[in-house]
Amino acid sequence: MNGTPLIRFADVSKVYHLESGDFTALNHISLDISEGEFVALMGPSGSGKSTMMNQLGILDVPSTGEIHIAGKNVASMTNLERTHMRRDVIGYVFQKFYLIPLLSAYENVEYPLILKYKKRDTTGRAAAVLKSVGFDEAMSTHRPNQLSGGQQQRVAIARALVNDPKILLCDEPTGNLDRKTGFQIMDILVGLHKEGKTVILVTHDPKIAEYAHRTIQLEDGRVVES
Amino acid sequence: MKDIFFDLSVRSVKLNFLRSLLASIGIVIGVVAISSMGMLGTNMQLMVKDQLTTGINTIAITPDVVRAEPGASVSSNTGITDIQLREIRDAAGINEVIPIDRTNTQFSIGSNDGRGSIYGLDPADIKNIMNVSEGSTIRGESDAIVGATIASRFNLLIGTRIKIGEPNLSVTRPVVRVVGILSSVGLSSSNGINSDNAIIVSDTWYTAQFGGGNVYDQVNVNLKDVSTLTEVEDAIDKKVNRNKQVVRISDSSSRITSVSSTLSSLTTFILAIGSISLLVAATSIFNVMMMSVSERVQEIGILLSIGTETGEVRRMFLYEAFILGIIGAVIGGIMSIIIGYSVVSAMIGNTAYFFLPESIIYIPAGMFIGMIVCIVSGLYPAWRASNMDPIDALRNE
Repeated sequence: MNGTPLIRFADVSKVYHLESGDFTALNHISLDISEGEFVALMGPSGSGKSTMMNQLGILDVPSTGEIHIAGKNVASMTNLERTHMRRDVIGYVFQKFYLIPLLSAYENVEYPLILKYKKRDTTGRAAAVLKSVGFDEAMSTHRPNQLSGGQQQRVAIARALVNDPKILLCDEPTGNLDRKTGFQIMDILVGLHKEGKTVILVTHDPKIAEYAHRTIQLEDGRVVES
Repeated sequence: MKDIFFDLSVRSVKLNFLRSLLASIGIVIGVVAISSMGMLGTNMQLMVKDQLTTGINTIAITPDVVRAEPGASVSSNTGITDIQLREIRDAAGINEVIPIDRTNTQFSIGSNDGRGSIYGLDPADIKNIMNVSEGSTIRGESDAIVGATIASRFNLLIGTRIKIGEPNLSVTRPVVRVVGILSSVGLSSSNGINSDNAIIVSDTWYTAQFGGGNVYDQVNVNLKDVSTLTEVEDAIDKKVNRNKQVVRISDSSSRITSVSSTLSSLTTFILAIGSISLLVAATSIFNVMMMSVSERVQEIGILLSIGTETGEVRRMFLYEAFILGIIGAVIGGIMSIIIGYSVVSAMIGNTAYFFLPESIIYIPAGMFIGMIVCIVSGLYPAWRASNMDPIDALRNE
């Protein structure tokens, strides 16, 4: 480990106040993830994986404890700073792809570039990234609902990569795909890890978890194995 | 730069084309209502104003109220003198100047007594300022014309004789013979002569009976061109009132102002009725925008989670409201010309004023208001979209 880790959870708890009483989704979690790691996050449903991903993705803030991502304390950032961090430092890949239905495959990839530079992409980066994940160029004008699951996930990965983030957060990226396509997607992620990305992967599937170099096992909001 | 959020809005409108179109139709109706009602009111106003202006070409000059100096005797001679009349004629230039004598007195027709105004006028002037509806104008020395009210109240006919003056047992009262009856003028009299309740006699007869041969009670100036009103008034004022205020100069332009202001409040009123339709349109735009937001919750969640700023999401929905507004306003503007023209020609029967700036301005004004209404209706839905929690929004199926 060299210097400060890329991600540090220090005694992080997340409590949801529900009508049926308080629900502790994360219970005093402390862990570090260094730059360049390939981590699988595993655990039964309800164990706190999603809550953990939301915290990692800066979509939420902890109830107590501190999270530092890329050297910044998440809780002390403004909303706009968090938005910019999501845009520039983190790339998301979701189980359900979550492409923007009104935009074409190419535009979906170009979109984060527009968010960042406030103009259309003229550098060819969006097209290059789309090509690098093995997406058929001829399909780039298609809308998401005209693409297969594997194609959509390739577009989603390209979208996650286009702003060159340090961290790639993948929430069950193969969960909606057949096995063969799933392994193709995993091969892409392995390649990205080799290029230096920090990959964090949520999965149920031990076969998929095998791709990772480190597994964090969650149960009832606690880390039981790291 | 082509804004991707604008693109997204356009695509959303296209995707829900029918729904968007229906919402825009609300705006169309609102714009048409405001524009045509406004134009209807303005056209009415312009026409009435023009009609009224034709009757206000008279300046009435009357002696100023006499203030008695302490100790000095009040002169009974409080009229406009011959010298002043000459000055008025000079100042009035090409316009007609009509000196008028007037007094109030009693008269008798048979055994009926009445009271009214007696006007003494040069017979040559009568046809210029009065409208004889029956009989003829004054020709002979003791001819008289009577106003419509007197004529009907006393059942006056051509040839009836009227005794003029206070009854006095020792003196025989002078008698005039009715030769004509004036048409009723009502309150619309604009020349300072309330002829309905008057007996008009020749100036020579009047002077012979009431005196004041070179003093007049009123002088009217009939303008050839009504736009010179202030000019002529100023000229007379400068000439006659040069040392001190001796005559009062009045006209009925103030009446136009009051009629115009009545009409303009009427226009405001019908505009308010027209605005109700815009209120309805606002509700429908609001509804469509709320539907658009709630149908796209997950999409909003995606946008927010991958780093779209809340302001950018807000902008996207405001664009959508703006697009609906533009569509509605443009269609509404075009239809306003057609419908407005039809309404004006059907209800006023005169489209001469339709394309004047003060009338046609209601079309861009209506379009502008329609668009503002749209954007305002989109504010809350846009705010709601941009303030969603991305996690909850993503989970929404």
